[in-house]
Amino acid sequence: MSEIFTCGDHGALVSYLYDECAPAERRAVLAHAAICSACAEELAALGATREQLAAWTPPDAQLGFRVVSDTSNVLRPSRWWQTPMPAWAQAAAAALIFTTGITLGALRGTTPGNRGPAGPAPQQPIATTVAAAGAPVTRADLAALEQRLRSELVRAQTVSQPVAATPADARVLERVQAMIDESEQRQRRELAFRTTEMVRDFDAQRNDDLARIERTLGQMDGTTGAEVVQQRQMLNYLMRVSQRGQ
Amino acid sequence: MTLTDDELVARSMSGDAESFNQLILRWERPIYALAYRVIGREEDARDVCQETFLRAFRALPGFKGQAKFSSWLYRIALNLCRDWIRRQRRAPVMQMPEGVDPGEFVAEQGPVESIEDLVGRRQLSAVVEEAMALLPEEQRTAIILKEYHGMTFQEIADMQGCPLSTVKTRLYQGLTVLRRHLEKTGRLSSKAEETMTPRLVKRS
Repeated sequence: MSEIFTCGDHGALVSYLYDECAPAERRAVLAHAAICSACAEELAALGATREQLAAWTPPDAQLGFRVVSDTSNVLRPSRWWQTPMPAWAQAAAAALIFTTGITLGALRGTTPGNRGPAGPAPQQPIATTVAAAGAPVTRADLAALEQRLRSELVRAQTVSQPVAATPADARVLERVQAMIDESEQRQRRELAFRTTEMVRDFDAQRNDDLARIERTLGQMDGTTGAEVVQQRQMLNYLMRVSQRGQ
Repeated sequence: MTLTDDELVARSMSGDAESFNQLILRWERPIYALAYRVIGREEDARDVCQETFLRAFRALPGFKGQAKFSSWLYRIALNLCRDWIRRQRRAPVMQMPEGVDPGEFVAEQGPVESIEDLVGRRQLSAVVEEAMALLPEEQRTAIILKEYHGMTFQEIADMQGCPLSTVKTRLYQGLTVLRRHLEKTGRLSSKAEETMTPRLVKRS
């Protein structure tokens, strides 16, 4: 630190300006500024510049950052296919699939004349599967279930095979067909009759309305003519009266 | 009871994230202000601020406490600002700092508009910001660290990785440019103007 300040010592000037200098250096700067107007003026100007700088404020910003270190507690969408399924869920899923399969099979087998062993049979395995809920499902259980399903399907297919047609059935079919044809003809006739009736009623109503309109118009004409005659008589009377007055 | 930075750092290092969040709460405004003043863009300053704390959190196990925690943060933030400035330099289109009108910036190189118009149109904060944008990065950073963050010459020298005398030179040169700009825009009265401009003096 120098105790003598010379013009152009910018470092010392800055140290004095920011009040980060030894007391001896500070005294040296002050002593020089007292006799050097250029340095005094520069010190004053730089000091004033610093005062202006205080006015610069950054715009307000939404900050509030946070860190979360414990990532194990962070909820994130899990990959459901990777998580092991509990035994009860496996049993429930198996029961649901089985019920759906049997219901579909039963629906297919419920055509007229086919109600039989395919109906109540599926209820049995459901009960056994649900009863097993809580115990772990083994591979043997699944194999048994598959076997049972296959046998049910085979039975349902056997039952629902088409029955060969007999001559009696052919006659019945012919009769039914004839009845259907007859019914259709009757319906057509009925439709034609009702349509004709409706057209006739419509025409009659139309003619009636037209006649009524004509009558009304005639009455209006007659009334108007009578009024014209009355007005003409009134005018003639007034003419006569006025001529007498003259 | 308010814990010191060192205490909060120690707790953070032992896995207490809440302590680190307290450090963030304490230092995010100064770090954001530093970033904004250095790079001049609000959105980017926010990003720099966020990234500063993220990096600090990751590097916390390596923080040995040789420097103050705040100085360490400032160093990280300044490095990020420097990276940002380099990226901007490489970018084909130069971005002006926010609040600086390029047209006006160019116009100020030639004849300046009237003092009254400029003062009336802009607040002092904007004028200072505009003046700071004219400085080279090193001078601007030195002035920001000194004026707005109260660092010592030595701390700035450590931060900028330069001798102490260089810091003083940067401060002097930066202040001189700012002074001229503020004189030109009428925020400061120059001595030459005072001596040459005739004044109306009210007679007593």
